[in-house]
Amino acid sequence: MTDLAEDKSMSDPQTGNRPAPPPLPENPIDVTQTHVVAEFKHDIPLTTCRIDPTGQFVFAGAEDFHVYRWSLSGDDSSKTIFAGHQSWVRSLDFSRDGNLVFTAGYDHQIGVWNAADASPKPIRMIDAHKGWVRWVRVSPDGKLLASCGNDNLIKLWSIPDGKLQQEFVGHKRYPYAAVFHPDGKRLASFDLMGVIKDWDIETGKELRSIEAKFMWGFDQKFRADMGGARDMRFSEDGKTLIVAGLTEVTNAFAGVHKPMLLLVDWEKFEHRHKWKDDAYKGMAWGVCEHPDGFLVASGAPQGGNKGMLWFLKPGEEKPFHSVQLSHCARGLDITPDKRQLAVPQFDGKLCVYQMTAPLNISGTARTS
Amino acid sequence: MRREIGCNRIDHEVSRRSFVAGSAAGAAAVGGLLTPAQAEAVKSGQKRILQVFLQGGVSQFESWDPKPGTKYGGPFRSIPTSVPGTHISELLPHTAQRMHLLSIVRSVDLKTNDHRIGRLRLEKGRTTGEFPYVGAVASKYLAPPNPPLPGYLHITTRGLEDNTNAFLGAQHAQLKLLGVNAPENLARPAGINEEAAQRRNEFRRLANERFAGRGGQPAFTEAFDSSFEMARRLMKRKSLFEQEPSAKDVERYGSHPFGVRCILARELLNNGATCVKVTHHGYDTHAENFNFHLEQLDEFDKTFCMLLDDLHDSGMLESTLVLVYSEFGRTPKLNQRYGRDHWGASFSVALGGCGIVPGAVVGSTNADGTEVAKREVRGGHLFHTYFRALGLDTSANHDITGRPVPIGDPAAAPIEELLA
Repeated sequence: MTDLAEDKSMSDPQTGNRPAPPPLPENPIDVTQTHVVAEFKHDIPLTTCRIDPTGQFVFAGAEDFHVYRWSLSGDDSSKTIFAGHQSWVRSLDFSRDGNLVFTAGYDHQIGVWNAADASPKPIRMIDAHKGWVRWVRVSPDGKLLASCGNDNLIKLWSIPDGKLQQEFVGHKRYPYAAVFHPDGKRLASFDLMGVIKDWDIETGKELRSIEAKFMWGFDQKFRADMGGARDMRFSEDGKTLIVAGLTEVTNAFAGVHKPMLLLVDWEKFEHRHKWKDDAYKGMAWGVCEHPDGFLVASGAPQGGNKGMLWFLKPGEEKPFHSVQLSHCARGLDITPDKRQLAVPQFDGKLCVYQMTAPLNISGTARTS
Repeated sequence: MRREIGCNRIDHEVSRRSFVAGSAAGAAAVGGLLTPAQAEAVKSGQKRILQVFLQGGVSQFESWDPKPGTKYGGPFRSIPTSVPGTHISELLPHTAQRMHLLSIVRSVDLKTNDHRIGRLRLEKGRTTGEFPYVGAVASKYLAPPNPPLPGYLHITTRGLEDNTNAFLGAQHAQLKLLGVNAPENLARPAGINEEAAQRRNEFRRLANERFAGRGGQPAFTEAFDSSFEMARRLMKRKSLFEQEPSAKDVERYGSHPFGVRCILARELLNNGATCVKVTHHGYDTHAENFNFHLEQLDEFDKTFCMLLDDLHDSGMLESTLVLVYSEFGRTPKLNQRYGRDHWGASFSVALGGCGIVPGAVVGSTNADGTEVAKREVRGGHLFHTYFRALGLDTSANHDITGRPVPIGDPAAAPIEELLA
């Protein structure tokens, strides 16, 4: 486990701004050297974050109903507010070119915005679901937007005009996440009860369904269900569906459960690997795949405030490295160059971590 | 969130109009609309209480006192209700349409964050001491002589073995029903026919008389006698627990446990119960407060409203005090698990029916909901209000073998603006 010390070597001591854009560090990826390179502050807990495809900006939802944008090469003063939702935003995605950002609101709406506007206003607000919109994702060809919500529906929207293209009916309980397969022909969804569905985008038909009941729990005492995906992605090669969430719910109302990652073999449509941290009671809130062949996951504990980053190799039982966060994680994203991670936190901070050794003061690479 | 309404309010409006017209036309017409039990309940003039206890502490933000867009308001929106100017959480769409039948007290401060203490303060109307629960007081003073059912029935599934009757007689203690199951041993033992049972009962009565005649303390035999009497009454009404709810009722109320319990509650009230308490578990949301309130209040909302409609449409609401309450509310500040913790300092209670001004909102909390802003209300105020609404003078005394004990806390008073 790494003790974190903020790396201020990239900041301009006169202005507090870092030079923009930062030169790509020469150091190779070495997660054992993971360290903070930026910390953006907000005064309300954050709910999620995503980094835009150009790698310029990081966006985060907050419990004040707004979405915020920071320049990854800037400082707190780069914060720009996206106001338009009437409830929390828990999911974001971008057009392929990064020009548009799509926001999923618990106000039942999807927001469409120009990502780079200086004074952002929604281009369009879509009445998307009866109930919370829990998730949005853009299709690989950039033409469609998938959403899921508390009406138990998955919906596909035409990005150019915001019109409904398709409804996928089949989940009996809230679908928490829906993601496109990289081939653009299929869509996977995951619901409260741990049901995973495979949908045909062209026909809207359900092709396959499997259960991951271990990522759901029914609290007998309180008589309530707890489960669902907190993050879900396909591996870049499309062979694996990766889900972050929880397992072994023993007391739902106190949040007593363990964090879990599930890897699903997409071709066979079966569970390939399950990982949980027996020593850490809490939730896995985010997961990313790294091209060097490992996964990064973020988590928040049941008690205390020490969030966690886990670095794991698929199939292995234990992380090969972990990093304690300054507070509870609420998500995770990775920069397009795969060198940095963004973590939204419960304390309102959005922390950016670099998975290499720090640069020395002159900006040249420092190896360790 | 909009949800399937299930039935159109216009149906109920028509039903009420029909009822009023029927009343004007005479009892025969009423008899055509009400079940015989309902007609008898209305005719009897008995007053009664329906308590819906949201165990664990429903969040005031997610129910009666929403604060959307504020620091601690959470993700849910508020929606307008049938009372102009009054908004409640979007999680209660059915209740919102019936808000003209209910009132809200938004300024309850129990000065405790403890489950048991909060419950006791609301049930007893006192901050300390052994006093009877609301249901036991109702049983004592509102039940008719020789009531057809025990006076205080509690439909629940869990623990809570409190001394509910305190110094009132054992016959006023809560009889806990485990869900919709009949109390155990209601059937007469095999081999004992009706005649034998009557003879056994007569023998017991004579033995009691003899005991009393020899200077025995009546309290000893009264407690046993009341238990036998309670059992006898329940045996007579055994069918209440045996009949399957109709498909229409299940469709309206829901097939989940809370739904069928509320159907039973209605039947118990229709058949002469004085106080029926239904507990809906699952509001102690230290984690995932919002996801759990989505589930719990979705179950509560429509079911409660069907029960409210049935009381209203039968005319029984005028003589039935309806209470919806928890032992406390939930913290304004969210914890890291998206939970809200215990909060007794500023929360809400809803009530309506007999003797209560409908559509009122009493008191308020500050902008962030962290404290009472106007009209602080405590358990004692609510206790006085309940029974004054039911016509009981709460400044009078219980007579405990000659020792006077005030029915309501003398340090508290009714919420006059809620009394019709």
